[in-house]
Amino acid sequence: MVRREWLSRLSIVALASIAGCRGYQYGHVIKSDAKNLVGSHEAGAEVFDPLVDEAVAKLLARQQIVTEGCPTGPDGAPLRKTICFVGIENKSAEDIGDFKDKLYNQIDSQILESRSFQPISQRMVNAALHETRMRPDALVIPDNMRLFTSVLQRSGAPVDYLLYATLTSGTTTRNSSTQRDYELTLELTNVHTLEYDKLNAEVRKGYHKSAAGKFWNYNPLKR
Amino acid sequence: MTLWAENRTRAQNREAGDRLVNRWIVECLLVVLLPAWLTFSGCSTHAKRISQPRNLFYDGQFQACRESLEKLSKSHRHDRDVVNLDLAVVDLLSGQPQQAEIRLRDVRDRFDHLEQDSLAEKTVSMWTDDQVRSYSGEDYEKILLRVFLSLSSLMHDGIDAESYTLQVQEKHEQLGQLFDQWSGSKGSVYQPLPLGFYLRGVLREATHRDYDDAVRNYEVASSLLPQSEPLLWDLARVREGVHSRPGHGVVYVFAMVGRGPYKVEVAERPTSDALLIADRIISAVGPYKLPPTIAPIKIPDIAVPPSDVDAVGIRINGSPIGPTSSLANIEQLAVSTYQANRNAIIARAVARRVIKKATIVAAKDSIGKDGLTGIGMDLAGIAWEASESADTRCWGLLPKEIQVLRVETPAGEHHLQLNALLGGRPVGPAQAKEIRVIDGQNTYVLCWFPDARSVSQVMSSK
Repeated sequence: MVRREWLSRLSIVALASIAGCRGYQYGHVIKSDAKNLVGSHEAGAEVFDPLVDEAVAKLLARQQIVTEGCPTGPDGAPLRKTICFVGIENKSAEDIGDFKDKLYNQIDSQILESRSFQPISQRMVNAALHETRMRPDALVIPDNMRLFTSVLQRSGAPVDYLLYATLTSGTTTRNSSTQRDYELTLELTNVHTLEYDKLNAEVRKGYHKSAAGKFWNYNPLKR
Repeated sequence: MTLWAENRTRAQNREAGDRLVNRWIVECLLVVLLPAWLTFSGCSTHAKRISQPRNLFYDGQFQACRESLEKLSKSHRHDRDVVNLDLAVVDLLSGQPQQAEIRLRDVRDRFDHLEQDSLAEKTVSMWTDDQVRSYSGEDYEKILLRVFLSLSSLMHDGIDAESYTLQVQEKHEQLGQLFDQWSGSKGSVYQPLPLGFYLRGVLREATHRDYDDAVRNYEVASSLLPQSEPLLWDLARVREGVHSRPGHGVVYVFAMVGRGPYKVEVAERPTSDALLIADRIISAVGPYKLPPTIAPIKIPDIAVPPSDVDAVGIRINGSPIGPTSSLANIEQLAVSTYQANRNAIIARAVARRVIKKATIVAAKDSIGKDGLTGIGMDLAGIAWEASESADTRCWGLLPKEIQVLRVETPAGEHHLQLNALLGGRPVGPAQAKEIRVIDGQNTYVLCWFPDARSVSQVMSSK
């Protein structure tokens, strides 16, 4: 009797196993107005998109003021200044992986859409770095800057400004919860006057080991 | 009373009839299945099937090796993925990196799919053996698969090489999280493979712009291999220097050194830890307890072929440059991965044996244990247990180590000479390759020196 039970149990397990098959992977297109996924371990689109939007908007707004009184074209509009976006440096605690090139393109495209600046093609910037064999961070030295801009000028792309983007982070930990503040800084250097401008945007994000972590640490009653 | 007696007689007749039918079915099954079992099972493992293609590969007979592997892929469905991995290595070293990339991509996607548990396969494996389970690759194989994808890509157009290095990191993160969940409070730390980080660093450095990414990746690689001096040079260069001087390019030699580990079948006595896990499995599906003693069971073990090569010496235009240095010790990885899983493998084998024994006893009890049927069932039980084989599937054509050498050289044509080394001394004949170095760019050379006697393969990126 016991053995029959054993056999019947095994049969049940065998039948149940048919239900435990491997699933397939599916994909779907996300509508442009849909919310981004919020990364559980690292920053993703939910952090980088607003960072870029805010930082570039601040940069363009500032330049709108600066360009008043500048030389104008035949149509009366201020002449667009050429900007060389050198690159993004990631100094945050996280590896941003494939986001780096995406951030570059996002910033570059937003600047291109503006009326304040005329960005230089990334390919030309890369070719100039390749030719001069200079590190991006070495371009702030005046001699290096002159050499680099002369290479670009020779290629038909005179430069007014150099733009650097830096991603940094600051981490605060409380027991099993962590808050990470992400900051995107845009540094603009005028190659003619060596004047320097700096703008930043910040997004803060919390990471928790449990679902209640958010409520426990960030409820309105907590001070 | 008469009606009751009639019903009882009918029930007895029906029971006797059922028993006769059952016996007839069992006897038929014995006549058909027993010889089949004895003929086809109990001796065939992946390790035995792959030995001939492996020998052909090391003899340099790539075409014969490819044909043999393709035949195996068609005849053994469950071996197909690992055979495809071996075929990819054959393709890569015979100068067909595009074909290798296609195969590796296919296996990568299959392994990703097979990572999900299948209860059906788990159940069937309890009645047969682990070979019926789909093989989703060992952790180090999943990482190396993506590393080989990067190398294959670099050997032709390099378009997807960066994506593959990102996939290496993604896989590391995923495996690290799984490892943390599994190890819990044991305090052990997941050890990623430095080679993936190194490759990403190499590609980011070659942009002449993303030195910060290169620093980050070389730092990880260096922390995993603190004794590696070349990694410290790389780190110093990307922190302060540049990829190469004007008019110069860089040659990266990726050398696969030695014959890699593979799995073989051994008979093993269960450990107390394994018996404990097996007891849990048995208790979950029935009222039986684990017997106090269990005869040796068949499990896979790692075989490490002896090696008479430990590095590759490089000369450019006759000038000695230096030996390659190790970035991935595959032998060590295979052994440590196996050790971590060994108890679980033994436990499954023990549980399987108990389930098989219990099933035979239960079947004998329900059908009848007298006469020919009883003997037949005992024989069937023995055959059933004997039909079991260890799961020896693995990526068999891997080297013992993957080593790298970086050298900056003036742009132009160069004569590269590679020599297998043992203890710093050349062993075996040197291999030569003409390479073209482009100003400010990387040129990749891939070679395999399995031992001092085998035919070595050298190829370079286009």
